Amino acid sequence: MEPASSLKHTKHIFRVSFLLGFVLIVMILSRGLFVPKSWGQYGWYRGDAVPEHRAKPVVHGGDQSCRECHEDQYDLREEGAHVGVRCEGCHEPVGSHVINGEMTAPMFIPASFELCTGCHRRLAARPDDFSQVNPQQHLEDNEMDLTDTVCTECHDPHSPF
Amino acid sequence: MNKTNQTSTRREFLRQSALTCGTTVASMAVIALILPDDAYAAGTTSEYDWDKHRWVYLIDTRKCIGCGSCARACRKENQVPEGMYRTWIERIAIPPEGEVHVDSPYGGEHGFEPDPPNAHVRKSFFVPKLCNHCSNTPCTQVCPVGASFETNDGVVLVDPKQCIGCGYCLQACPYGSRFMNPHTRTADKCTLCYHRITKGLPTACVQACPVGARQLGDRKNPNDPVNEILATQRVQVLQQQLLTKPQCFYLGLDMEVR
Repeated sequence: MEPASSLKHTKHIFRVSFLLGFVLIVMILSRGLFVPKSWGQYGWYRGDAVPEHRAKPVVHGGDQSCRECHEDQYDLREEGAHVGVRCEGCHEPVGSHVINGEMTAPMFIPASFELCTGCHRRLAARPDDFSQVNPQQHLEDNEMDLTDTVCTECHDPHSPF
Repeated sequence: MNKTNQTSTRREFLRQSALTCGTTVASMAVIALILPDDAYAAGTTSEYDWDKHRWVYLIDTRKCIGCGSCARACRKENQVPEGMYRTWIERIAIPPEGEVHVDSPYGGEHGFEPDPPNAHVRKSFFVPKLCNHCSNTPCTQVCPVGASFETNDGVVLVDPKQCIGCGYCLQACPYGSRFMNPHTRTADKCTLCYHRITKGLPTACVQACPVGARQLGDRKNPNDPVNEILATQRVQVLQQQLLTKPQCFYLGLDMEVR
């Protein structure tokens, strides 16, 4: 019969400690790999998501970017009732027409009945002081037929009055 | 003999397993150290200090004409998928008696149909809606992976690289401002044009509005006209009772608007 020794389980304890240590190292290294580096930079989220959102391309350049080439139309609009209407609101974003100062595609020229009535058709929900007409009535009053470009026959869209 | 063989095989197996695990971990560590975490890491923040701004939004429903320019501009600026809306316009018609009528065909993006001939509703108006960028927002609180967050300048954003598309935030938002992007299969929402406002530009919807019904404000800029309006006029928020502290303020709202 062997005498009971306190060192009898040393080997097992060493093995368990080694295993736990190994698991810990794996966890730490896995965390380094799977958790994004910028995590927790500003809060409980990936800090790099902020500059990524900021880096998205600006599509609408604004009226000033249109003015660089189309000053005549810009000035005409500036003096008329459509001063508040953005160029890109009726046309398309400048990004679809010019990129880095080079024209990439012709600009869309809309002059349709639908575009005009989209804002100026009389609706109960529209503010009373906003310029609006009943399109059928307006055409009858002026003895005109409904065509797609009927509005621009009398009204210049850049300065409608 | 048999026994010895077995022991040897087990030892061999354990040794090989340990070796494989060790190699894997070591290579993972090397990759983790070498691989740049992100192309945008650092930089691009030098010219903008987010601690100097606190963005808010102001909508004057008395001015809105329901043209849909804002929704169209938003779609083009942010490549919003068809059928999904980061901002939309609702037409509210409140008769003296009976049910309130609300419609928003295609989010109001293509304008609104003429009033039905028998509609004699005198209280009718348009309400543009978008993410309220609440400062006590439920949507970021429910996200299990930290993909939804609020920036220091008060904008609620989604990190599409972290989002797992579980949709909890869609249900948590009481305003219906979020949707599941069918292309990325992640939660998507209004970013308050974060790529524009941090460059000193207005949001696409604010810029597009022909009547000035939408305004972007900065609470930390004392000369901002929106601050003057918030300080002097009576403003409301949507669903105030939910205590989400929306940062999108409304002028001329009716109690029937949710």
